[in-house]
Amino acid sequence: MANKNPKSKIPNLSLPWLDALAITAWGILMLRYWLTNKLNLLIHPNYFWLVIVTGISFIIIGLFKMQELWQRRRRDVTPNTQHISLFPPGWGSALLLTTAILGFIITPQVFASDKALQRGVTTDLLGSTRVKPQAFRVTVRPEERSLVDWVRTVNVYPEPDAYTGQKVKVQGFVIHPPDIGKEYLFLARFVLTCCAADAYPVGLPVKLPNNQEPYSPDTWLEVEGQMVTENLAGKRQLTIAATSLKKIPQPQNPYSY
Amino acid sequence: MNQLNNGFTIFLSLLVEAMPFLLLGVLFSSLLLFFVDERKLVEKMPKNPLLGALVGSMIGFFFPVCECGNVPVARRFLIQGVPTPVAIGFLLAAPTINPIVIWSTWTAFRDQPEIVVLRVVFSLAIATIIGYAFSFQKDLNPIVQPAIARYMKFNPPAQPQTKRRGKRYQVQQEATVPNLLQSGTYILGGKAGIPLRIDPNLVPPTLISTSDKPLADKLRLVVDNSIQELRELGGVMILGSAIAAAIQVLAPRELILSLGAGPISSIVVMLILAVVVSICSTVDSFFALSFASTFSSGSLLAFLVFGPMIDIKSVGLMLSIFKPKTIFYLFALAAQLTFLFTLFLNLHVF
Repeated sequence: MANKNPKSKIPNLSLPWLDALAITAWGILMLRYWLTNKLNLLIHPNYFWLVIVTGISFIIIGLFKMQELWQRRRRDVTPNTQHISLFPPGWGSALLLTTAILGFIITPQVFASDKALQRGVTTDLLGSTRVKPQAFRVTVRPEERSLVDWVRTVNVYPEPDAYTGQKVKVQGFVIHPPDIGKEYLFLARFVLTCCAADAYPVGLPVKLPNNQEPYSPDTWLEVEGQMVTENLAGKRQLTIAATSLKKIPQPQNPYSY
Repeated sequence: MNQLNNGFTIFLSLLVEAMPFLLLGVLFSSLLLFFVDERKLVEKMPKNPLLGALVGSMIGFFFPVCECGNVPVARRFLIQGVPTPVAIGFLLAAPTINPIVIWSTWTAFRDQPEIVVLRVVFSLAIATIIGYAFSFQKDLNPIVQPAIARYMKFNPPAQPQTKRRGKRYQVQQEATVPNLLQSGTYILGGKAGIPLRIDPNLVPPTLISTSDKPLADKLRLVVDNSIQELRELGGVMILGSAIAAAIQVLAPRELILSLGAGPISSIVVMLILAVVVSICSTVDSFFALSFASTFSSGSLLAFLVFGPMIDIKSVGLMLSIFKPKTIFYLFALAAQLTFLFTLFLNLHVF
């Protein structure tokens, strides 16, 4: 079915190129995230392979289409199959291409304390309901538990006194919630289940030897100490009584799973 | 500025996570469009309305199309004489009851498997009930668009008794197919196997099953169709992800929390979002995921069940089959049933 409408000839010729370009750009963007190690800021590592395969497929489809368009450029057969569509012609691809270009320009960001506070520290952190004890290991020695391990353990058995005196050595970033005292800070990490859209913060309060001044929000710390029970925001709460706080660089992979 | 960058990161992560499923869905629906012979499927549909509605709701498993692919297929079904309950069941359930959508829902809600199971169960139940309800409408004229009604009046679909004439008749009927289909646009749906020529104005050429072309051409068509759907659905997905990211970053937390915690308000909000955000069903679970921490499970399900059935985009498509009144009934029934089911869940009735 040759669509020989002289009026729509020019868009007809350029639109397929836009489609092919948009799809190829997305393929390149996805592979670029993978090769520059940015993919772990966006999605859970379980799905990396899906993104890689899709990136490669997009590039193949895009190049295939371009090659076909190139071969057909002399002939006036644009098999412009009419489709029931929501957008005016070209809009879908233009959106795809624009987003891909934005993706090339703007680097994804590691979530920090502002996002954690927005997610609600007191409601979520001090009584996190979402962390499930996946791969829960009882045999782990207390000082080998990560911050997320601790939160999961506490969720299974919430009585804070049960952990009193246990040694702790955990890493996380600093949050200063408004409703706990100056001699405390919150040590947190983000957990991803699927992608950054569901990142949620978990963590434990830390009781400092002095006050929170030297530790500004978003600083990454390795905290060593012992578990104690404190009364925070009107609630008995398992707290790390810190004996040593060491500033560390942001880990290669800031998220936990 | 930081807010903006957070929002953009969420937006990108939704897109990057959803793209693979979109590609898979689009490739599948394009392949099926060109390689599956619907006529064979049409012949096997049960005539019992309740069973028909149930079977129709489950055919999606073999036709992994999302809500933009299912309307043209449902339309072909109706024109080819498939009983109404089957077609309605398919129309409502196919975008949800299919392997790709179930997989992507599982990916998103790995730590809440009940959402995955209930999404399937609720969608099946609602589609079957509505399909069954429509079986009481014997005369299609008042509910479908005049063009389709006219078409069906002059080309009445196969009568039930043609099905019961036994094997020999069917063999004979199949034997005549290759002959009749030489020029591509004939379908076999008329009385006693008389071929019908599809009115090209009624059914756009791309929507006709073209199962008699050479393989190379078919592959080219598959790629073309995939690209077409990718840009359409990709565009919608970008808008949907942008809305989800914007709500997550910009909406006041107190408002979201108070709306999301209420058993009724959360469902109402999600039903409205389901209509407004016409995100494709293969990727809508990622949209819902960004509300998972603040909204009740029932309301997330309401979005996941109702969204694929009816949203702004599919209303536009459905107008190519049904009269506005019918769409309103479908809409109202589906919304009420979804509301009831998910409210029961929120109130722990079951």
